[in-house]
Amino acid sequence: MNGAHFVVKALQQQGVEQVFGYPGGAIMPVYDALYDCGVDHLLCRHEQGAAMAAIGYARSTGGVGVCIATSGPGATNLITGLADALLDSVPIVAITGQVATPLIGTDAFQEVDVLGMSLSCTKHSFMVQNAEELGSVITQAFEVARSGRPGPVLVDIPKDIQLAEIEHECIKHMVAKPEAPQADEIAAAKALLAAAEKPLLYVGGGVTLADAESQLRDFLAVTEMPSMTTLKGIGTIAPEQTGFLGMVGMHGTKAANFAVQEADLLVVAGARFDDRVTGKLDEFAVNAKVIHLDIDAAELGKLRQPDVAISADLKQVLPQLAQTLSIAPWQAHCTQMKQDFGWRYDHPGEAIYAPLLLKQLSDLAPKHTVVTCDVGQHQMWVAQHIEFDSPKDHLSSSGLGTMGFGVPAAVGAQVARPEDIVVAVSGDGSFMMNVQELGTIKRRKLPVKILLIDNQRLGMVRQWQKLFFEGRYSETILTDNPDFVNLAKSFDIPGETIVVKEQVEPALQRMLNSEGAYLLHVAISEEENVWPLVPPGAANDKMMEDCES
Amino acid sequence: MIHHLEITTRHTPEVLERVLRVIRHRGFSVQTLQTQLDEANAQVHLQVTVASTRALPLLTTQLAKLVDVNSVTGLSQVTTEQKLA
Repeated sequence: MNGAHFVVKALQQQGVEQVFGYPGGAIMPVYDALYDCGVDHLLCRHEQGAAMAAIGYARSTGGVGVCIATSGPGATNLITGLADALLDSVPIVAITGQVATPLIGTDAFQEVDVLGMSLSCTKHSFMVQNAEELGSVITQAFEVARSGRPGPVLVDIPKDIQLAEIEHECIKHMVAKPEAPQADEIAAAKALLAAAEKPLLYVGGGVTLADAESQLRDFLAVTEMPSMTTLKGIGTIAPEQTGFLGMVGMHGTKAANFAVQEADLLVVAGARFDDRVTGKLDEFAVNAKVIHLDIDAAELGKLRQPDVAISADLKQVLPQLAQTLSIAPWQAHCTQMKQDFGWRYDHPGEAIYAPLLLKQLSDLAPKHTVVTCDVGQHQMWVAQHIEFDSPKDHLSSSGLGTMGFGVPAAVGAQVARPEDIVVAVSGDGSFMMNVQELGTIKRRKLPVKILLIDNQRLGMVRQWQKLFFEGRYSETILTDNPDFVNLAKSFDIPGETIVVKEQVEPALQRMLNSEGAYLLHVAISEEENVWPLVPPGAANDKMMEDCES
Repeated sequence: MIHHLEITTRHTPEVLERVLRVIRHRGFSVQTLQTQLDEANAQVHLQVTVASTRALPLLTTQLAKLVDVNSVTGLSQVTTEQKLA
């Protein structure tokens, strides 16, 4: 068996059934091994698409995503996807071909120092030095990718090692031991909880990464404390949970942003005080003590000094902290704020109102529909107006904010979950960033639905230009967009354009009920903006609201 | 403030780049650096002096996460001005 066949066998031993990639010269032996091995390879039309499809696959299932590319430009094209996976803690194993060992460092054709480039955008990376270490490297790559705080791992394999004959060896799967919390830390946290009058649970993506959603929901059932999530935490808490205030931060709900400023205790579970959550950090939750729970010790005290810090597996910590609390006045206050500041959809005129459109999608889509997003205004509208019952159903590039994420992530999610409806909500700017992946949808005949919200602008940048740059709309006007419906048609994807409110519901029904892929192109006004908004440098309770109304 | 770090890592070709990248990215600048390979050619011992206005744990916790790093210990040197203050 040569090294390439060994790599494929090693992937199979890790339970990999699906990979995404794009072939090229330095990875050809691996593609030869993939040809008839039983591992399903989906050809994406750009390596960035392959990386993001692997992310969609991983995030919609909780498993590890695998992508493959050749050396040089193939590897550089993966980099944005790897950075996205690093910022959102997604377990990805990326395999790249490299020029043969004797040519490394000679500026050979399609040679680039991928290991060097990977240092800042992966959790770890390997360049395989000899054929004998292939087995242990692949095993370590999967172990590192999924253990502790998950993340992307790159394995760069020179072509001569792919072609070298090696003995088959048994690959052992190591299982990392979850870290257990200390008894004194638990006792200190429980004492803070018992003393709090206005405790608030702040939930991030780490809860799902720890597979601790049910433990979190049990914790809420016992404590009945008010709660809020980050963008990545959306879906972790059931939308109907009493005292759940929605998303906190720059485009969070008024109830969550007011509550966090009033709270006297924050219980932070798998979140990291990101600047899009906190606004002005030294004015964030100034009245609150902090219990910070995270598997990654480097997050504890990085931005906000906690009163109690517990670096451990959330699955173990949360049940130990659960206790009944006497906080009735605070619960009533938060419930009242949620009621007082609920979303309103009574928008005047015939033009389609994006928040209402997404609310209608939320109401019409069956349970377990996966929604992927691109980045910008539509991404925030999705976060605000679609209700999710699982974070695996809401795939949004949160940390890196990668435009072009939505369509390839939907490809990965649809492959992973063929029985579920997958909707990619995109904007006209983002959609064009990875539009080539329509070719992947066509190739596999994937029934991905695309809801393209088109304001002929780079809407979020335009919104900031309007608010903070005196309306100087520098390079954000996209009135020269292509005919999106015809573009989709050329990939055998049917579609339609809608422009007024009364068209929305039947069009959404047609999209959701279509057997195959579908593009619903929605024209909206460029004047629609995302509200509320915590302006840069302000505290979270200093929210701006619609200045037009 | 000046901090002294003692770091033991697995000996890999790129390990020094990894460590130095994290030091720079997390807001610390290298003042002095000594590296020593052990006799078995398996581990590298680094002695690094770094300067930063940031607290040392912000760096040591990030270094400790590197897969190749076996141990990190840090010592912060208090300057004369800080002692007087």
